[in-house]
Amino acid sequence: MIGFWEVAKRSEKGPYIKEEEFDRKVGMLANQIVKKYGIKFDRQNVIPADNDLADKVYQAGLELFLELGVYCRNTSRLIQFSRDEVEWALKHAPTTVTYGLGRDLRVMTHRTIEDSKPPFCLNTPVGCTVAEERFVAMVQSYAQEPLSDTFSSAFSQTVQGRPIKSGTPQEVEAAIWNVVKLREAARAAGRPQIGIHNLISNAERTDAIIAAVQAEFGVQPNDGLAIAATAEMKADYERMKKVVFLNHKGLNKYGLYGPIMGGYAGGPEATAIVHVAHHFLGLMVFEVQWHDGFPLHLMQGCNSTRDLLWLISVTGQALSRNTHLLIGVSPFTAAGPCTEMVVHEIAAVVLAATVSGLHLNLVAVARNKLPERSSGMEARIGAETAHLIARQGVTRKQANAIVQKILGEYESKIPNAPEGKRFDECYNLETVKPTQEYLDVYERAKEKLSRFGLDYSLL
Amino acid sequence: MNVFEQIVEATVAGDKDRCVALAQQVVSQGVDAFQAIQEGYAKGMTIVGEKFVRMEYFLPELMTCADAMKAALDVLKPHFGKSLEGGTLGTIVLGTIQGDLHDLGKNIVKTMLQAAGFTVHDLGSDVPIRQFVEKATEVNADIIAASALLTTTMAYMPDLAILLKELGVKDNFLFMVGGAPVTPEFAAEAGADAYGKDAVEAVDVAKRLMQEKKKRSVK
Repeated sequence: MIGFWEVAKRSEKGPYIKEEEFDRKVGMLANQIVKKYGIKFDRQNVIPADNDLADKVYQAGLELFLELGVYCRNTSRLIQFSRDEVEWALKHAPTTVTYGLGRDLRVMTHRTIEDSKPPFCLNTPVGCTVAEERFVAMVQSYAQEPLSDTFSSAFSQTVQGRPIKSGTPQEVEAAIWNVVKLREAARAAGRPQIGIHNLISNAERTDAIIAAVQAEFGVQPNDGLAIAATAEMKADYERMKKVVFLNHKGLNKYGLYGPIMGGYAGGPEATAIVHVAHHFLGLMVFEVQWHDGFPLHLMQGCNSTRDLLWLISVTGQALSRNTHLLIGVSPFTAAGPCTEMVVHEIAAVVLAATVSGLHLNLVAVARNKLPERSSGMEARIGAETAHLIARQGVTRKQANAIVQKILGEYESKIPNAPEGKRFDECYNLETVKPTQEYLDVYERAKEKLSRFGLDYSLL
Repeated sequence: MNVFEQIVEATVAGDKDRCVALAQQVVSQGVDAFQAIQEGYAKGMTIVGEKFVRMEYFLPELMTCADAMKAALDVLKPHFGKSLEGGTLGTIVLGTIQGDLHDLGKNIVKTMLQAAGFTVHDLGSDVPIRQFVEKATEVNADIIAASALLTTTMAYMPDLAILLKELGVKDNFLFMVGGAPVTPEFAAEAGADAYGKDAVEAVDVAKRLMQEKKKRSVK
């Protein structure tokens, strides 16, 4: 065991490299390793039933991590690890994570490929921007969903009427407000002790986060925070400060990795092994208990594209088969709420993830870009679909056949996907219930998905 | 295949050695350097940009091609003569705004702008707003371009517009913004002159802003 302070020491003493040189090295090395292992994206096998491919992706990701190391942006030095150190950490990685208290206590455990155990559903608007007066209703719409194992935050445009700016006193005020309001929403949802997996989505600086993550504001002992790699294979001291704080505080922490397909790594194969390597970064540098990925398409800003579905599936299979890590993925759709397309996109990503051993962080819609475009209905769609896939015992082969049909419904529409409706058009704000229009859209989409092979009668 | 076509081919292939060799050939044969750029390297990079948009090329290929072109331009620079005064479409000061460490999008925009023929001064990430103004003043920039990935950091964009106004230099620079949470509506409210939704659009927008600037100065 090397421990956090050895990692911190390496961030000061490791080999020096310019950031631009490191960025180029990511792509160069990843592509060399992809070639060495003969990893190939196959458009017709979006959800491959190929254990050998999964193992190659895993080995390639590990090799990349060991050769590349992690770049510390504060010191421009590489934090490097030996194979023995990584294997020891993998062997001793957490096998469970618990969120929530009382009747809302939930336990996340490892999932295997084609597991009949449903994914753990961490439901969230993924920081979607919302007007301050609608913040509680929006997050409540997630917390109240029966299949939400945990929930987390939207992003209020203002707090007490003032905009939030990173690094200012208002950021501290906003972070505290965020935590207080999340717990208020949990109570309003009738689930006062439901776990909050990421307590803060409106503060970037560690001082604001530390100020807000306190019991007197409603934080429970097993709520948690995400610690994100800000770019491909990079860490920095703002993120590493969170590690120290959370290690002392005892709250849950998870790693958040969003490699960009088409970015520094290059194509789907190289981005896949970079994504796998990020899990080792999270384990070794951030010492997280579980891992969440949101790989994205550079041009489309979503992960419902064919190549990203493949990436999600092979990386999930790679890590599920070769480790006991707790791993998840965040679906990102191009279409917005209350559209048939959003149901199809969610179903496709959930299908790829569920049969590949992943948990789910549900769900970023409308490319996670448009204000007010997010609602608990998308989380319901994702969680219900995930549960039925597990119950139905869908295999990877079956999933691949189904996903091809679903892709046929939306793939060509991705560049010009409909924005969908605003939260206040999708929900009655007084009752916090979805509109009949949205329920009808979901029903129509379910009928189609049923014809493709998903058995919604199992719900 | 004439020399310009060969340059296009070498640039699209990202073949640095060949790009440099062809630049040396241009010089030794007395071919117009400006024409070699316009009909060779720049044309090649336009094709590279199109391939990048179609995802036939990814960022590593884009960077390799841009490197190859830059190496060739280093050979040609001493021979620009009066045919390419300044050798650039315009000067841009670029950075990810205060509090924000995300720089992938900004770096792609930088590569595309350079490839299109702009001189870009990259201030990096987490750039205080006053630094944009100071650098732009120092290098007599045409455009200030700011990027943000976070909603809490894009809130600094209006501050930058206000600072430019308060310092009385608003008319000296054109201000463009972009980044995942930034929308055209926000850009307008923030006092930006333009918004680019992605790197390709950012190049078009920068070109348009330069045309507007030229028209203004003619008036």
